[in-house]
Amino acid sequence: MRDFSYVRADSIEAARKATALPGAMLLAGGTTLVDLAKCGVAQPETVVDITHLKGLDTISVDAGRATLGALAKMSHVADHAGIKSHFPAVSEALWQAASAQLRNMATVGGNLMQRTRCPYFRDPSNFSACNKREPGSGCSAIGGVTRGHAVLGTSQACIAMYPGDLATALVAFDATVHLGQRVLKVDDFFLLPGDTPEREHDIRAGEMITAIEIPGSAAARRSTYLKVRDRQSYEFAAASAAVGLELEADGRTIRDLRVALGGVATKPWRARAVEEALKGKVLDEDTVRKASGLAMEGAVDHGANHYKIELAPRVVARAILKLGETA
Amino acid sequence: MTVHNIRHANTRHADSRHGDASDGAVGGRLSRVDGPAKITGAAKYAFEQQLDGLAHAVMVEATIAAGTVRAIDTRAAETAPGVLLVLTPDTIMEIKGASDWLGNPPTQKTYSPLARTVTYSGQHIAAVVAETFEQAVAAAALVEVSYDETPAIVDLSDAKAGDGIPIDVMTKEWGDAEAAFAAAPVRICAAYNTQREYQAAMEPHGLIARWQGEELTIWEPSQWLDGMARTYAEWFGVPFENVRLVSPYIGGGFGSKALALAHSAVAAASAKMLGRPVKLVLTRPQNFTSYGGRAATRQTVTIGAGRDGKIQSIVHRGVNETAVDGMWVEPLASVTSIMYATPNFSSKQNVVRVNTVVPGAKRAPGENPSAFGIECAIDELAYEVGVDPLEIRLRNYAEQDPEAKKAWSTRQLREAFAAGAERFGWSKRSPKPRSMRDGHQLIGWGVAAGTYPVRRAYGEAIVRILADGSVEVESSSIDMGQGTYTILAQTAAETVGVPADDVVVKLGDSRFPRAGVAGGSRLAGVMTGAVYKAATSALDQFVGLAISDPRSPFHALQANTLVVANGRITAPRGDGPDVSIAELLASVGRDRIEATGDTMPANSSAEDRYKNYTTIATSVPHTEGDYSRHSWCAHFIEVRVDEDFGTVRVSRVVSALDSGRLYNPKLAESQWKGGIIMGIGQALLEEGIVDRRHGRIVNNNLADYLVPTNADIPDIEVISVGIPDLHSSVLGGKGVGELAIVGVAPAIANAVFHATGKRVRDLPITLEKLI
Amino acid sequence: MTDQTTSITIPIHLTINGRDHSLNVEPRVTLLDALRDRLDLTGTKKGCDHGQCGACTVHVDGERVLACLTLAAQVEGREITTIEGLAGADGTLDAVQAAFLEQDAFQCGYCTPGQIMSAVACIREGHAGSDDEIREYMAGNLCRCGAYPNIVAAVRQAALEVAS
Repeated sequence: MRDFSYVRADSIEAARKATALPGAMLLAGGTTLVDLAKCGVAQPETVVDITHLKGLDTISVDAGRATLGALAKMSHVADHAGIKSHFPAVSEALWQAASAQLRNMATVGGNLMQRTRCPYFRDPSNFSACNKREPGSGCSAIGGVTRGHAVLGTSQACIAMYPGDLATALVAFDATVHLGQRVLKVDDFFLLPGDTPEREHDIRAGEMITAIEIPGSAAARRSTYLKVRDRQSYEFAAASAAVGLELEADGRTIRDLRVALGGVATKPWRARAVEEALKGKVLDEDTVRKASGLAMEGAVDHGANHYKIELAPRVVARAILKLGETA
Repeated sequence: MTVHNIRHANTRHADSRHGDASDGAVGGRLSRVDGPAKITGAAKYAFEQQLDGLAHAVMVEATIAAGTVRAIDTRAAETAPGVLLVLTPDTIMEIKGASDWLGNPPTQKTYSPLARTVTYSGQHIAAVVAETFEQAVAAAALVEVSYDETPAIVDLSDAKAGDGIPIDVMTKEWGDAEAAFAAAPVRICAAYNTQREYQAAMEPHGLIARWQGEELTIWEPSQWLDGMARTYAEWFGVPFENVRLVSPYIGGGFGSKALALAHSAVAAASAKMLGRPVKLVLTRPQNFTSYGGRAATRQTVTIGAGRDGKIQSIVHRGVNETAVDGMWVEPLASVTSIMYATPNFSSKQNVVRVNTVVPGAKRAPGENPSAFGIECAIDELAYEVGVDPLEIRLRNYAEQDPEAKKAWSTRQLREAFAAGAERFGWSKRSPKPRSMRDGHQLIGWGVAAGTYPVRRAYGEAIVRILADGSVEVESSSIDMGQGTYTILAQTAAETVGVPADDVVVKLGDSRFPRAGVAGGSRLAGVMTGAVYKAATSALDQFVGLAISDPRSPFHALQANTLVVANGRITAPRGDGPDVSIAELLASVGRDRIEATGDTMPANSSAEDRYKNYTTIATSVPHTEGDYSRHSWCAHFIEVRVDEDFGTVRVSRVVSALDSGRLYNPKLAESQWKGGIIMGIGQALLEEGIVDRRHGRIVNNNLADYLVPTNADIPDIEVISVGIPDLHSSVLGGKGVGELAIVGVAPAIANAVFHATGKRVRDLPITLEKLI
Repeated sequence: MTDQTTSITIPIHLTINGRDHSLNVEPRVTLLDALRDRLDLTGTKKGCDHGQCGACTVHVDGERVLACLTLAAQVEGREITTIEGLAGADGTLDAVQAAFLEQDAFQCGYCTPGQIMSAVACIREGHAGSDDEIREYMAGNLCRCGAYPNIVAAVRQAALEVAS
């Protein structure tokens, strides 16, 4: 790890100002920054420690909305009674992410800034080509070991998969991220790689995530996060789905449906085609399975990750059907 | 037979905190005597010693798989803060060639642990030593290397790999296997593949090296102190006695920590060059390329059988990968040739050179992949002839060793099948694939057998009876979790006649009496034998003094013998004095009784002894004499396969195992469960994945090379069906540590077939193979 | 060759197991390396150095975290507890430690301090309610010896003792 200087911010304003220092990076939970600094991927010149800031870790929830301070720990949000009852998919996405220790460290704001697990991105000494790390250097992943790479939202420049769980749930429920002056939909906060895979988020110099807001809804109240992976726990998703469901009074017709995918795309992936295909339809297994296939519209595989195209619609379908059974 | 079920183990037993007297005897369930140090953080592992002036070294590895190093630019690294030394092939001190683990003399006069010619990605080419770890890491990143790259052979499936080199000594043949196969009414032929798997011990490899004049002390996790000390002595041209290897606790080895490796040489060389102690710990990624995991293997198994499922012929062909510049043979027929009775048999094996680090020993090398082939193949035969997979194994039961044509010393495999099947409920199995389900989960039940030979060798120990009545045991053998500390305490306690709490066992220092490698599940049998012998000799001396020394309170008794039990000495009929060991020693004016026990043949020379402890050349064959000696096991495993996702989860395991007599069932059961769990990882998760363009393992870390987590493991029930086997060891035990992994992967693959109707012959069984 | 040490260190004060420690370290020094290399607290283990194994689990302000991804400078003013601080001052073992010994919940012992620190927190968090919950909430601590079933038994036993 390259040496850096250390600044402890004592106010949000000080933290924002410190980000203007050359090579400055914010340190929250550290689970991405310290890890990537050890990999030689992150090379901060100044680390701005915001973990001692007061008042940024609050969690407030009512039926109308949840507001999560940027420094709220993933574990605390996962275990919060209001989140569990009003936004179960958010709680489930969180407790299935990482490990208990990492969830005690990682903050929800920091989690939005989590970087890809692409092994080529993470190993600069062996793989010099990585457009995300070094724009214009090429992509080592294309033509390489691609089992964990994205099938949706990829570009010629980058096929790195977005690995997070929380943001997948946030995108499904139209959450917003507060950056001080600006408030963005989480869906818009994450950028597609296109020709600029080094830009992953719509965040500007001097901005800092201060809060995440999730609007309440009937679909959010009846929601789940289904995560499929090789290992039972402590692993990133092979494919996952955050799904919320609202039925009409008849108990079988779909009024509202939210579907977002994790583990298969370059960013948290809202599957609106599935939602639109099923809204107004009677919930039955065949209909749901057929519509779930729409989640993969435009998918492109790179060999070893082809299975994701088969797997992801099944994950979506099972999540919807599971919610249907709980009627 | 005893049934040990974790569900029953919750209730407090008598064996709990300290163990009672019977737990301290051989065969008792004494809790680990090294446990208190390990649960409080007090146990200092080898490279955790805190030394004054300690410098920190970090290795720099090759980023190509084949070629030559054109130049190494060290200027930036040398001027980086805190840097003390940058080592390259040009600047490292001369190191001599050392003999190999068989004792064969070196082929090269000098040894360069830093490579100029690169034969695999990750090979060490430079090193940086600095004042602090952080400085060394940062400076190592500044070393710039340029290469002339040549094409690499990346793995067994590389078109350039070819058919490899026949290993004639691996050929096993009897009868006319080809003809019998051609004539058989039922024929099975399939190919089975296992991938590169890694030991992935939680403690990384590393060491601290310190020179004091011509004396070298190495603190390094080691499965073989004396063998590694020999290597260091030869490398640096100092007498064997000048090298002290210290390895008090080992954070897992699984076969990987028996040899001094290139990074070890670099640490010792830099310590000598700097005149300061140097610590070098490999990063987790470096642990995937600095020594070999299990070689990738390919096997074809053909079975010719009658319609009744009785085997008439087995033809087996195997291939394992090895390195371009090193030889590793993973004996792929070691189970194939002995598990089932067959009148005709043929097995041949090749090795194929690829650009990898030399593969190495991982838990049950040979037996493990071998069992995957034959135990899947016989399952396929069972379905082919419509016979229950358990029944077909009994129908082909080998009543004697089919290869050696000798009687088994003991073989409780039939008992294992019976006990396991009973406990598992095998009779309730619905035979048809895909016929058992629970909602979206397809349920499958599979069975497979395993075996591991009894490897015997010789060992040495000192037993001292001390003035305070305690007993001290010393040996340069080691405890990496098998329980050596504990079972040697039990052996000494029972033999001398003191409570186990009064025994102190000291291991892990090459200054102690010698021991061979802790590998091949031999150490417990070897060392209990040596300690038994030493303790018996110490006891004899002690009783002899009590009888004959005029100052002894027993002198007047004119007894032929005396009884020592629970730390006290009495006459056999209890009709004389009753004194403590301490009191007796005081009365005869002795502060200790000491005896060395050694199980070497009596006429062994000093050279024989040196060779025995520092090479593996003197192991006693398991088929020596009239018997064939092996441990045996049967695994019954239930899997649940999600029909949509293809994910396989093991939901139930019942294994019945024959390791002979267990010196400590509590610890043996733990090792068995550990082997089963490693087998679950092998079956479902573990695979070193190579980038074929770079010839490099890309999942070289614990997030991407998946080992099982707690959440992947169900309750595991292990049943001991062993009986004492005195042909195998002095106290009747057979091997424990490697046995239980053998047969797990095929039991799971067989269960997956039963669940899904899909036969997966390539490990690991990942979800994309089932959707 | 130089032996310059121009790296810039900063003074930090850490409270570990109820004791105050002052040290000068570079800002990049992790809590794990500070414990192991500077404070002779080697009970906290380094297995992967990247948050992938759990061997370095310690408590910060009572919650389990990974020392390998925590900068030492970051935890000034926090209460840090390591395995060395778990037993009572008189050496009385924590219920989890005792249960690990009784259930033989370890073999090589290298992951064990992390397992125990994790288990103490797991019980405190209320995540030891069933075997499946224990398995999930202990999944962040890898054990290559495969002591998992015994770890579950130990956590279950300790949880019952703590509750009673």
